[in-house]
Amino acid sequence: MAKRKIMTSIFTYVIAIIALICFIFPFYLLIINSFKSNGEILVSPFSLPTSWDFSQFADVIEKMNFAVTFKNTFLITTISTILIVFFSAMSAYHLVRKPSKYNKIFFTILVASMVIPFQSLMIPLMHIYGAKLQVIDVIPIPLLIAFYIGFGSALSIFMFHGFIKSIPLEIEEAARIDGCSTLQTFFLIVLPMLKPITVTIAILNVLWIWNDYLLPSLVLNNENVYTMPVQMKVFNGTYMNNWELLIPAILMTIVPILIMYMIGQKQIIKGVMQGSIK
Amino acid sequence: MKRGSKLADWGNSLLFLGPTTLFFAMTVIIPFLYGIYLTLFKMDNPTDPMVFSGIYNYLNAMDDKDFWESLWLTLKFVFATVFFVNMVGFGLAYLVTSGMKIQNSLRTAYFTPNLIGGLLLGYIWQFIFVQSLPAIGGKMGIRWLELGWLGDPDMAFWALVIVTIWQTSGYMMIIFIAGLISIPKDLIEASTIDGAGPLRRLFNVTLPLMVPSFVVTVFLSLKNAFMVYDLNFALTKGGPFDSTKMVSMHVVNKAFVESNYGTGQAEAIILFVIVAVVTGFQVYSSKKMEVEA
Amino acid sequence: MGIKGFMKKSAAIGVAAALTLSLAACSGKSSNESTGSKDGKVNIIVTNAKGEIDAQFKQAAKDFMKANPEVKIEVNSTAVGDTLNVFDKLTSSGKTVTLAMFEPYAALHKYKDVGIDLSDKKWNEETDVALKNADGKVVGFPFAVEGMGLVYNQQVVEKAVGGNFDPFSINTRDKFKDLLDKIKASGVEYPVAYQTEAWSVGNHYSSLFLNQSENPTTLADQLAAGKEDLAKNDVWNGYYDTMELLASKEYNKFGDRPIGQYYDAAHVAVGKGESAILFNGNWAFDSLKALEGSKFGFMPVPVDNNADNELNNKIAAGPTQVFVINKKASKEQQEAAEKFLEWLVYDEAGQDFVVNKAQIISAFKNNPNKVTNPLGVAIGNAIEKGKTMPFTTNYINASEWSTTVGPEVQKFIAKESKRADLAKFVEENFKKQK
Repeated sequence: MAKRKIMTSIFTYVIAIIALICFIFPFYLLIINSFKSNGEILVSPFSLPTSWDFSQFADVIEKMNFAVTFKNTFLITTISTILIVFFSAMSAYHLVRKPSKYNKIFFTILVASMVIPFQSLMIPLMHIYGAKLQVIDVIPIPLLIAFYIGFGSALSIFMFHGFIKSIPLEIEEAARIDGCSTLQTFFLIVLPMLKPITVTIAILNVLWIWNDYLLPSLVLNNENVYTMPVQMKVFNGTYMNNWELLIPAILMTIVPILIMYMIGQKQIIKGVMQGSIK
Repeated sequence: MKRGSKLADWGNSLLFLGPTTLFFAMTVIIPFLYGIYLTLFKMDNPTDPMVFSGIYNYLNAMDDKDFWESLWLTLKFVFATVFFVNMVGFGLAYLVTSGMKIQNSLRTAYFTPNLIGGLLLGYIWQFIFVQSLPAIGGKMGIRWLELGWLGDPDMAFWALVIVTIWQTSGYMMIIFIAGLISIPKDLIEASTIDGAGPLRRLFNVTLPLMVPSFVVTVFLSLKNAFMVYDLNFALTKGGPFDSTKMVSMHVVNKAFVESNYGTGQAEAIILFVIVAVVTGFQVYSSKKMEVEA
Repeated sequence: MGIKGFMKKSAAIGVAAALTLSLAACSGKSSNESTGSKDGKVNIIVTNAKGEIDAQFKQAAKDFMKANPEVKIEVNSTAVGDTLNVFDKLTSSGKTVTLAMFEPYAALHKYKDVGIDLSDKKWNEETDVALKNADGKVVGFPFAVEGMGLVYNQQVVEKAVGGNFDPFSINTRDKFKDLLDKIKASGVEYPVAYQTEAWSVGNHYSSLFLNQSENPTTLADQLAAGKEDLAKNDVWNGYYDTMELLASKEYNKFGDRPIGQYYDAAHVAVGKGESAILFNGNWAFDSLKALEGSKFGFMPVPVDNNADNELNNKIAAGPTQVFVINKKASKEQQEAAEKFLEWLVYDEAGQDFVVNKAQIISAFKNNPNKVTNPLGVAIGNAIEKGKTMPFTTNYINASEWSTTVGPEVQKFIAKESKRADLAKFVEENFKKQK
């Protein structure tokens, strides 16, 4: 019995390590190629760099306009994510607990909206917010945040929906008897119980918004409001990309999310632990 | 009294749904309806003056043989990816919640492919399919590996499938982790005491409780597969000779490259309807399986 | 405990909402500065279609503004792979691009109603390649001259021929084949690394045959009218005979499977000297320079065995990007744009930007600077010697060919279709070309 257990555990580790190698190698490539010249990258992308020279990073920081674009990306991502998570949690809760005919229709529309090809909305967005309302250049960042809430809430509501269903109604009823309003019940009772999925949804939204190129490239027309992915186009060429700068730039863009992700995962586990102590 | 409670109901609805509805309407609903309105006009380019043309664009789309071919190809792609993405994603999640010592590092590692956008990904994998695998094939004498993958229609298609699985299963893993972790420990313990083996526990206890996660991941993988564009563009550009041109790429080319904006927009709407029906069916039927507490 | 937690959370929402509002307020302020002309400045938007020179272009705009403080330029560059090009994007969102950079064909067709007549501008004296429309009016300011042909690695070729190599000595297909054999004999297993991207085999290579008529437009018009049978056209066939040679198993590094994302692989191979020849333009240098110290040049693409045929002796080169001044811009804006164009032609800083900084071959004779990139040098020399012919890609709808004709040519290369099928397809495409 014990022997079998050890065998399975070795087997699990072997699989885990093989998967690890498969999944991490692009990240490894990203790191080693951050220290190479264009020529080296093209000729031998898999070999270690001849020297660990950090000078390219200084160049990247300057060309990326890093201080400005990082601030913009950070602001847009955090504000959008916070608002998406709160608004969608509230909406999903309402849709689960008040399954009226209208609410069902609303939910269906939300789900359907996620399969609208984005390309078919580009020109309408430009016409409405550019040509007609002329707000694109007046409030580019708030407009972009509003767009993110609009595009992001459907998926977040959809994900909350299933998880809220599995929360026992009795707990809420108890709170209700204690005199909590609906809003209080939601924030005090329901939301804490949703911690793992809330953090997950937040992570997925951060991931999407942080790396998104298409939407900000439509809305942001001025270098002062560019996000990092939009600014990164300075490293693209018509026929060939400037890899020696693009690769370190990508590395610098994704490290913050990796850190955020690791903190997030810890939160998920912590949330569950607290729940089980209760 | 009754009236008052009705008013309160309205107030609650407004409070809970209002903000979402507002932003959703302004970014998705209104532009989408406007987008449908645009399909009723003949426009070669998005900057052209609008000339009313009725259903001309839709007739054009119906006649566009390439559109339907690319849709058929996309359907094959959907079949090839949805199953594997979910299986691998769930497998990874199961692995990293099974209590291994290094599971936190593994979670981070499996997640990294998501962080790297299409452009660089396309380059890395191009190098693997065009140079590395043929080099390995040459050294080991494996005939079919010796030539670049992206020059053969079938191999290029499978190259897209492989990269998709590799790139998105980490994303699905995160959603599965949230689901697995939310399963009450006592349920698992109870079944262990009942003498259920690991496999039976998986099928009888864990999987049924994972339905909410599967509803989301199956939907997402369906949607991603139908809408695939970035990877298609970065890895194969639709080649060799249009054999891997998925429907989104066809629509984008039609509307913005080949100066048929109206027709391209109409094709996008048709695509929406088809995908909405497929995913709608999936969500409707699987939502019924969700366990309500 | 509960109420406190709730208060904390609502406070967080409040802060977020306030942040959004304050953001609205501050960005509102900054944009007032940039759109209004209250400060007496003329604001113009300039689009740059050459993404790779974005940084240099923005620096040039700054230099220009320093010298001309009454003008404010906003540069918007195209990013490669953008679904919506930058001009369409800005125009759809209700803005007026004053100075737009287009490909010549687009300037004459898709955007034919955009530009003003530039015929009476002074800079026309300094160039022969200003873009003219069918009525003979100048509509485009030639910004960048580029050329295409067979790129070769000089060291490898010179080793094979044993001494100095004159690219223009290869003026028949037989001589070219002979050269390939010599390179092979010198120990290079595959002399050609043929990269078969759709835009290269389509827009670039497959338009070359238009040069058989004095003015490529003539033949293009005939094709559009359905009056030309390509399958019986010797020059058209000749180019595909040469293409078959380039893609053949005997000479091509990728001959066993000639289609398949070989851009980087091909350039690295020629750059390193593992192969010697590929078909591309002067922009290829960025990818070729993988190894320091290699030298490169251009030779014409041979079409037949007649050494006197001009097509065998010339390299296709011409303006690939032109500036157009938008009619819809205000008088002041148009004048500011003209000032910028003059700065590019006559001002030392402008001349320096185009050639030295951006490494672009200038279309203007008065520009004293020379590009240093060896492929650019080769094109420049060919222009000086009168050994160039029109850049035929400018006479087809290039953006559309890359997704229509390109894949069809790839099919032909992969032997998935016959030459007659390709001829039919190209004829049909000309007929419905917009």
